[in-house]
Amino acid sequence: MTAPVPPLAYLPEILTLVAALGVFLLDTLGVRRRAAFGAWTTVFLAAAFVSVLADLGVPGLGGLATLPSSYLTAGAVGPVVFTALGLVFQAIFLSAGILVAFASLSDPDDEVGIPMFYGLLGLATLGTLLVALSADLVFLLLSVEVTGISTYVLVGYTRRDPRALEASMKFYIIGALSTATSFFGASLLYGAYHTTSLATIAQGLPPDASLALVGFGILAVGLGFKVTAVPFHMWAVDVYDGAPSTVSAFLAAGSKKMGIFAYFVVFVAVTRLFAGPQGWPLYIALGGLAVTTMTVGNILALQQKTLKRMLAYSSISQAGYMLLGIAVDTPSTLSGATLLVAAHVLMKGGAFLVVAALAQIGLGARIDDLRGLGYSHPILAGSFSVLLLSLAGIPGTFGFMGKFYIFAGAIEAGGLFILLAVVGLLNSALSVFYYARILKIVYMSDEAPAPSQESGAALHRSLTHSSQGVASPPPRGIPGLGRIAAEIRAAGAARWIAIVAAAVLTVALGIYPTPLVHAFNAAATQFWSLGY
Amino acid sequence: MEISPLTILLVLAFGGTALTFVAGRSARFVALGTAIATLVVTLGLLAMFSLSELLSYQFLQVNTWFTFMGAPGSPGLSIDYAVGIDGISLPFLLLSAVITVATVIYHWGEEKNPAGFFGLLLLTNAGLLGVFVSLDILLFFVFWEVVLIPMFFLIGHWGGPRRQYAALKFFVYTHVASVVMLVSLLAMVFLGHWPSFDFTDMTAVQGYNASIPEVAQVFLFGGLLFGFGVKLPMVPFHTWLPDAHVEAPTGGSVFLAALLLKMGGYGLIRLAFPLLSLGREALTPLVFFFAFLSIVWGAYLSLSQRDLKRLVAYSSINHMGVVLLAIGLWTQLGVMAAVLLMFAHGLVSGLLFMISGSVHHSFGTRDIPSVGGMTSRTPILSTMLMVGSLASLGLPALVSFPAEFSAFLATWESLRYLVFLPLMALVVTAAFYIWMMQRLSFGPPHGIPADAKDLPLPEMMGMVILVALIVLYGILPFLLVHIITVSPIFGACYPGGGGVCPGLP
Repeated sequence: MTAPVPPLAYLPEILTLVAALGVFLLDTLGVRRRAAFGAWTTVFLAAAFVSVLADLGVPGLGGLATLPSSYLTAGAVGPVVFTALGLVFQAIFLSAGILVAFASLSDPDDEVGIPMFYGLLGLATLGTLLVALSADLVFLLLSVEVTGISTYVLVGYTRRDPRALEASMKFYIIGALSTATSFFGASLLYGAYHTTSLATIAQGLPPDASLALVGFGILAVGLGFKVTAVPFHMWAVDVYDGAPSTVSAFLAAGSKKMGIFAYFVVFVAVTRLFAGPQGWPLYIALGGLAVTTMTVGNILALQQKTLKRMLAYSSISQAGYMLLGIAVDTPSTLSGATLLVAAHVLMKGGAFLVVAALAQIGLGARIDDLRGLGYSHPILAGSFSVLLLSLAGIPGTFGFMGKFYIFAGAIEAGGLFILLAVVGLLNSALSVFYYARILKIVYMSDEAPAPSQESGAALHRSLTHSSQGVASPPPRGIPGLGRIAAEIRAAGAARWIAIVAAAVLTVALGIYPTPLVHAFNAAATQFWSLGY
Repeated sequence: MEISPLTILLVLAFGGTALTFVAGRSARFVALGTAIATLVVTLGLLAMFSLSELLSYQFLQVNTWFTFMGAPGSPGLSIDYAVGIDGISLPFLLLSAVITVATVIYHWGEEKNPAGFFGLLLLTNAGLLGVFVSLDILLFFVFWEVVLIPMFFLIGHWGGPRRQYAALKFFVYTHVASVVMLVSLLAMVFLGHWPSFDFTDMTAVQGYNASIPEVAQVFLFGGLLFGFGVKLPMVPFHTWLPDAHVEAPTGGSVFLAALLLKMGGYGLIRLAFPLLSLGREALTPLVFFFAFLSIVWGAYLSLSQRDLKRLVAYSSINHMGVVLLAIGLWTQLGVMAAVLLMFAHGLVSGLLFMISGSVHHSFGTRDIPSVGGMTSRTPILSTMLMVGSLASLGLPALVSFPAEFSAFLATWESLRYLVFLPLMALVVTAAFYIWMMQRLSFGPPHGIPADAKDLPLPEMMGMVILVALIVLYGILPFLLVHIITVSPIFGACYPGGGGVCPGLP
C-alpha cells in the first residue's frame, strides 16, 4: 500500500474549487460584472488544466507537476486512484469548462444569475474531475452526483425562459431516477462483492456471479441516463434544446463525457471478466446499447427541423460510437473512444456555441434560417462547416481520427465485432446526410443569388445579364477586415474566438494527431490492464 | 530526412490551394500559377522516372505518421506518410496536372466567387495527386475523401438548377462507397497481420495477404469492388453520375469525368486486384458481368439522350465499362490498356464536357435537336466538337484508338469471341457520336441566337491543350506505354521478379 497522497496532488481539483467558491465570494463582495466572473473562472480552470498537463508529464511543464509520478502506477489509494487515462480525461473535462467559461464572456451582461452560472460551472467541472479519480463505486456515484446537481440548476439559471425551467425540471427528475437506479445497482454489487472498491471488483468474479451481473446491468442503466444511451435518452433532447446554448455546450462536451468515463471505470475490467459463456448478456447489452444508441440517434437527427435538436440527437449518436469502444473493450478502442471524447469537446462544444452566436446574430433556430450564412458571416460559417464535417467523420478532421481508431480496433478484434464496426460505419455514413444538408443550406441555398446559367462565364459574355446588377455574393477569399470585425461583433468576440479556435484545432489535430494518439495509447493500455 | 519530390508536389498543390482561397480578386492568377507549378513538377517526375527500376516504387518517402496500438502485447502497426509512384500512377499525375491547367484556363472568366471556385478546383486536384501517390492505406483513404468535399461544394454552389439535390446525392452515395471500401481495407490489414499500414513492398504485402482465407478474400474483394465500382462508375451503381455531371459547373464535370472516375479504376489496379488474388479469382466472372453490363447499358442509355452533357456523361459509363473489362482480364496488356484508356478518356471526356459547357454558354441550350449548323456560325467550336467526338469513338491517330485497340486485343487474348460484345457496343457508341455531330454541326443553321459568338479565347485555349495531348499521345502512344508497364504490380513478369505476374504462368 502506498503512502497517503500529498495534498498538493489534488491541485487541479483545489484550483477548480477555488474557481467555483471564488465566484460566490466575489458575488457577496458586490462584484456584478460578467467579465470579472468569467475571467476568474477561465483563469483558474486554465491553471487547473496546466496542472493536469504537468502531472501527465507533458514536456516543458515538468517543473509544475505536483503529483509524484509514482502514484500514476500505484493503483488505488483508498477511494481514489491516479491513472494516466484519468488525468487525460481531467484535461478533457477542463478544456470543456474553459471553452464554455471563455465563450460565455460574450453572453449578455444584464442577465440574472451570472455568478450562479460561473459558480455552478466550476462545481460541475469539479465533479467531473473527481469522477476521473474514482476507485470506489460510492465515491464514483457521489462525484457523478456533484456534477448532476450542479447541472440541473445550471440548465435553468436564467429563471426567465419557461422552456429552460421545464428542461431543468425534467433534467432533475430524470437525474434523480438515474441516481436511484445507479445506487440500486451498486448496492447489489455490494451484496455480491461485500465491498465497493473497484480494485477488488476488477480482480475477479464474486461467488454469486449472477447477482453481480444483475448489479452491473442495473448500473449500466443508471449511468446510461448520463451518457444518453438509447433508450435512456429521452430527456436529453428537451434539455439540450431548452437550456441556454452555452450550457448545452457544457452538457454535451463536459458532463456527458463524465458518464463515458464512468462507464470506462465500471465496465472495462468487468467486460473482460465476464468473457465466456456466462458473460454473453453483458456483451449483448453493451454492444446492443452502442448500436441502438448510434442508430436511433442518427435516424432521429435526420428528421429534425431545428439546429439545436439536430445537434442534440447527433450528440446521442456520437455517444453510441464511444460506447462501441467500451463494448469491444481493447486498448485500441479505449484509446479511440478517448480520442473521440476529446474531439467531441471541440466539435460539439463549438457547434453549440455556434448556435449561441446565431441567436445573438438574430437568425432563427430552424435549420432553414441558416440560408446564406456562408456569405453573410464567412468565417463563422467556415468554422461551423469544419465542425460539422468533423462530426460527420470526414478524414482530415479530429473527429475522423477518433472514429477510425474505434472502428479499426473493432475490426481488429475480429469476429462479431467486425459486424459492430460495419454497423457503426454505415451509421457514420448515414449521419453525413444531415450534416451535409446543413452545409447545403449554408452555402447553396437559392437565396444566395445564383444565375441560372451554367457558370459565371455566361454572365461575363452577355452584357444584358451582368448589367442587371445581380447582387453577387462577396468573394469568399479574405473578406475585408471591416467585414471580419463586423462578424466578430455580431457573434460576440469571445464566443467567436472560441468557435474559430475549436475549428482550427479540429483540423490541426486531424492532420497531426501523433502526440495525442501516442499519449492516449499509453494511457489506455495502462488503464486497460489495471481495469479501473 | 529524405524529402521526396512527391512531397514537394503535395506541398505545392495544397499550399497553392490555400493561397487561392485567400487571394480574392487575383485568385485566378494564383490558381493558374499553382496549376502550372504542379504541372512542371509532374513533368520533372516524368523526366526523372527510371524505366529500369522495375520492382519497386520510385521517389519513395516513408515516415511514421502515428501508431495504431494493435492487440494487447503487439508492438502496434505504424500508420505512415508513405508516398511513391510507379508507371501506373504517373500517367494519372500527368492527367491531373494537365486537366487542372486546362480547366483553370477554360474558366478564366469565372465571375461567381472566383476565389472559392478556383480554390475548390485546386483542392480537388491536390487530393487527387495525394490519392495517386499515397502508399499507405489510411493516407490513401484520407486523400480519397479530401477529393469528395470540394466537389460537393463545386456542384452545390456553382451548379445548375437541381444542383442541391445532385450535390447531396453525390456526397452521400460516394461516401457510403468509401466507407465500405475502408472496412474492407482495414479488414485486409488486420486479417493479413500486416506489420504496418503501408504497402510500399508489393511482394511482402502479397505474402501477408496469402494467409487470408478464401472466403474472407471474396468478401474483401467484393467490398473493394463495390467501393471502387461506385466511383468508376459501374452499372448498377452509377445513378449518382448523370445527376452530378449534368448539374455540375463545366469545370466540375471535367474534373468528375476526367479525374474522379479514374480514382475507381486506379484503386482496383492498385489495391483490389494485386493484393487479393484468391478473391480476384473467385469474383472475376462477376467483374466481367458488371463490365459488360456497363458497356451495353451505358451505350444504350446514351442513345436516348437529347442533352449533350447527359450524352457525354452516359458515354463515360460505357467507356469505363471497357476499362473495368480490361482490368478484369488482369493481364499485363489488359492493365496497360486500362491505364491508357483511362488516360485517353480523361483527356477526351474533359474536352467534350468543355465543349458542352461552351455550347450551353453560346446557344443557351444543350438540347441536341434544337441546335444545328454550328459549322457555318461557330466554326471553331464545331471543329472542337468534331475532334472530341472522333476521339471518343476511337479514330486512329487520336489517343483513344491505341487504348481501345489494346483493350480489345487483351480481351481477345483471354476471352476470345466474347470480345464481340464490347465491339458491338463500340459500334453503337460510334453511331451516336456521329449522329450527334451531324445534327449539331451540319445542315442549315437553326437554334443559334443571332448574337452567338464563337469560342472566347480562354475556353479555346483550355480545349487546345487537351486536343494537343489527344493528338500527341494518339500518334506516339509508346511515350506512355513504356512508362505504364514499369510497375511492381507486374513484378514476376520481369526477370528476377518475385510477385505474381498478371496473366503469365
